[in-house]
Amino acid sequence: MAFDFPFMVEALFKLMLKIPISLEITFVSLIFGFLIGVAVALIRIYRVKILCRPADFYVSVIRGTPMLLHVYTVYLGIPLMFDALAKYAGWSARSKDIPTIAFIFIALSVNSGAYMSETVRSGILAVQKGEIEAGYSVGMTTMQVLRRIVLPQALVVCLPNLCNSIVSLLHGSALASFIGVSEITNTANMLAGDNWKFFESFVAAAILYWGCAIVIEQIMGYLERKMARRCGAPGVPASSAA
Amino acid sequence: MNVILKNIQKSFGHNHVLKGIDLGVENGEVVTILGPSGSGKTTLLRCINMLEYPDSGTITIDGLTVDATRPHKKNTLRLRQKTAMVFQLYNLFSHKTALENITEGPIVVQKIPKKQAIEKGEQLLDLVGLSDKASHYPHQLSGGQQQRVGIARALALNPEVILFDEPTSALDPELVGEVLVVMKKVAREGITMIVVTHEMSFARDIANRVIFMENGVIVEQNSPGEIFTNAKEERTRAFLKRITPEYAYEI
Ligand SMILES: Nc1ncnc2c1ncn2[C@@H]1O[C@H](COP(=O)(O)OP(=O)(O)OP(=O)(O)O)[C@@H](O)[C@H]1O
Ligand SMILES: [Mg+2]
Repeated sequence: MAFDFPFMVEALFKLMLKIPISLEITFVSLIFGFLIGVAVALIRIYRVKILCRPADFYVSVIRGTPMLLHVYTVYLGIPLMFDALAKYAGWSARSKDIPTIAFIFIALSVNSGAYMSETVRSGILAVQKGEIEAGYSVGMTTMQVLRRIVLPQALVVCLPNLCNSIVSLLHGSALASFIGVSEITNTANMLAGDNWKFFESFVAAAILYWGCAIVIEQIMGYLERKMARRCGAPGVPASSAA
Repeated sequence: MNVILKNIQKSFGHNHVLKGIDLGVENGEVVTILGPSGSGKTTLLRCINMLEYPDSGTITIDGLTVDATRPHKKNTLRLRQKTAMVFQLYNLFSHKTALENITEGPIVVQKIPKKQAIEKGEQLLDLVGLSDKASHYPHQLSGGQQQRVGIARALALNPEVILFDEPTSALDPELVGEVLVVMKKVAREGITMIVVTHEMSFARDIANRVIFMENGVIVEQNSPGEIFTNAKEERTRAFLKRITPEYAYEI
């Protein structure tokens, strides 16, 4: 069977319409995953009582299990919990009212949160202890030191890894196809099945993912260079040399 | 008295580093602390602004007394807001420009309007001779310049006392002078200073009082004139003699 190039182009245009959904999944999960990551990193660095053991557990479990299982677990588990809770609290809402895409948001946020907590943690640990003390010495509270001194610098250190996380999330968004969210991969699957053109459809999907990944890498690369120019090399102690 | 320390004790594990330090510093006084390596000079300074928590003793600054045995978070903060520190390795905020380093404390901690803080910051940059470096990041400055920004950052807080921990000892010799000049200026402004240093010229010419510390105790304290020519304790004389070659150089 020859490669049906015109079909592939046709598929490309159809799938392109699904880029916004794939990117939505990617970036919504990125934002929540990042917030989880920062919180978990801080909990683990400061060994916050009660919370730090569960945080260690969370990171270990999530990093030790496949992403697809996270998607299934959330998709199957949350409705059970939700319905039980709804019944208990007497809500009228039922789990079937939850949009499917919410499950993928949750699954990917939880997944990337664990990975990003490690990224953020290494970023935070790269901040010079002396600068943190300087923050305290001018009278800042712990929160002010975190917000004004630690996190801005940690973010710069994290940026390359964060770029990897975004691309992983983009790839992870394809798992949404397993629970029937109509994003790029799911749609490619439909086109493939309806027309018996599997290879062409998936090549088209791959091209789109690759294109998105390149754009993301370019943007992140630009940000990295811009930040690096401002800060010199964070994590490197100030030397006495000019 | 602006700063009063009473019976400050500090141990790291079994290492008893400060063995009951009593010290009073008058308003506007410049006190220099000398002593061999490991005698606890840095630890003492860090106890004053509670970067290190003393095990016991009390610290009084500008009427605020904090009992180190029961340090309260709020009191720690208030104590730190009455002090400023200049670090051996400058410790400038590396993601902020020289000017931002100076205005950070006033804006974030003291809630001074931004415009006013910037104005003051520019004046201070001028005072330390770095008006043209306002928008430079620390990594674009020499060590001496970074330390001068560090001093300006401390001054910007209008502190009751500035603690200097060997501010020139990480600098190349040819850069030491520019920092000492600024420190002398600060001393002349009547700001209370506690300075740990090996720069004998500073101790001799600028300080009102020299303190010799060894093994976690204050061995002797006196005016520079007295201590350099007429030290009472054998240990002080031995220490000064050891560093005399340097000291002879300075004059
Ligand atoms: N954070 C710490 N943990 C454990 N021990 C410490 C700590 N800080 C200081 N010490 C110990 O306390 C003692 C006094 O140290 P300190 O830095 O105060 O001496 P110093 O007089 O400033 O010496 P130098 O002239 O070398 O700077 C040393 O024995 C040091 O090893
Ligand atoms: Mg020291």
